[in-house]
This record gives sequence, C-alpha cells and structure tokens, in this order.
Amino acid sequence: MKVKVKRWHGVAVWRWDVPNEEVCGICRVPFDGCCPTCKTPGDDCSLIWGECTHVFHMHCLLRWLQTEGSRGQCPMDRRTWGIKFIIY
Amino acid sequence: MIKIWSIKKDNSAAEKKKPKVSAAQIRVQKDLTELALPDTMQMSFPDEADLLNFNLSITPDEGFYRGGVFRFTFNINNNYPHDPPKVRCSQKIYHPNIDLEGNVCLNILREDWKPVLNLNSVLVGLQYLFLEPNADDPLNKDAAEDLRTNRKNFEYNVKQSMRGKDVKGINFDNVLM
Ligand SMILES: [Zn+2]
Ligand SMILES: [Zn+2]
Ligand SMILES: [Zn+2]
Repeated sequence: MKVKVKRWHGVAVWRWDVPNEEVCGICRVPFDGCCPTCKTPGDDCSLIWGECTHVFHMHCLLRWLQTEGSRGQCPMDRRTWGIKFIIY
Repeated sequence: MIKIWSIKKDNSAAEKKKPKVSAAQIRVQKDLTELALPDTMQMSFPDEADLLNFNLSITPDEGFYRGGVFRFTFNINNNYPHDPPKVRCSQKIYHPNIDLEGNVCLNILREDWKPVLNLNSVLVGLQYLFLEPNADDPLNKDAAEDLRTNRKNFEYNVKQSMRGKDVKGINFDNVLM
C-alpha cells in the first residue's frame, strides 16, 4: 500500500528552547523566572541568545558585557559575543 | 479571615522595610547551597548575616603543603558574579603562586574569571594550587625558581617555611596544625 501525504498538520508545544541548562548561568535563576534585578517574570526581562547558542537573561548578560573583565566575550565559553536573537 | 488579612498586611509592610537583597547576595546564597566542601576545607563567617565576607582554611592532605593550615579571606562585591571574589591568603607563606602580601595568582580569579563560574570553582582552584604549585605563572619568583630547578630543595624550603623558619632571609608564618 502506498500512502501519499496530502496534508500535514504540525503540532508544537511552545517553550523556551534552552538546551541542557534550565537556569541562567549568570544568576542561576530558572529561565521561566526573571533575573534577580527584575520583579515580575516575562515583564521586560528578555532572554538573549548568542551566536554561540548560549542563552542568558538579557539584563544579566548586559551587566556582564559592561564589566571590564568580560572583554565582550560570552560568559560561558569566552568566545566573542554576538547576538543571534532576543525573545521579548 | 480578617485576622489573616491583617497578618498579610503586616508581612508586606515588613517586606518593604527589609533592605533589598542584592543580586550578588542571591547568587552567593545559591553558590553556598551548591557547595560540596571536602574534608580538607573549612569555611567560617565572622558575621553570620554577611555572606559576602568569609574565611576559608585549607588543610591539604597530600603534596608539598601537607600538614599545614592555610587561611584565606574572601571578599565578594555587589557586582558578583560579574566580578570575581577577592581572595587573599592571610598568612605569609612560601608558594610560587602566592606573594608575600597574600595575593593569589589563580587564572580564574583574574583574567579567566567568568560569571558562570561559582565559589565551588574557586575552592577547587585554590585546593589545586596546594597540590600542584605552578612554576610557570609565579608571584613569588624565588619559590618558582626553586620548584623548577630542584624539587627536593623546594620541598625542604616549603617545610622550613611552614614551621615558621626563614627561607632565603625571609621569615614565614608557622602554619602547622
Ligand atoms: Zn540571569
Ligand atoms: Zn531582568
Ligand atoms: Zn557562548
């Protein structure tokens, strides 16, 4: 019997696509909560992905990049940080 | 019901009065709960309410420094984990990677620090300095030279220094238990 797919129905469950780590490596707060300087989750506490695929709270990452010792590098692998995308 | 409400109100008032716990404090708290302190290390908090300043002692159970108690102070600022903890040895010891003022040369406390590291990483690094002192990255050049050229001699000088004797004209602190 040969089956031809006429229509395909995709179902997806949405969640933050966070590989392995469920917490922000900088503040260690889970990604479904906001960073320690914010009050309400989701509000304006975005997540930011780097080109290296590492993800952090945007506030945590920006504070790190403002620190001299960061030298503009990813807090995880110390490769030059480039933004892949931000989820608001 | 009325009572419950009034209790809640009181709580929220107290909440507001409480000084805000900083992100650094929250993070240090997390680090401390994740800490797996080996038998060779002890921590103490001079001020129980202050998690950002504490002491650590290391009692190596092998290597050149076996038999000594080495004391360090940790000062963590409010930019932690973006800034590394400031770690100093509070004794004068003969070690290639620790100078006579107690400054510690450990890469992760300096140029290789990154905020995903935690207190555990620092403790492991410090412990390692006592098991494997490193002659390539010296703060005490005499000790490094010693280690590089003559390990037997280095071992002897370390033992002398740990007893509070002089090494090369410099007096060291007695660190024996
Ligand atoms: Zn974070
Ligand atoms: Zn935030
Ligand atoms: Zn990365």
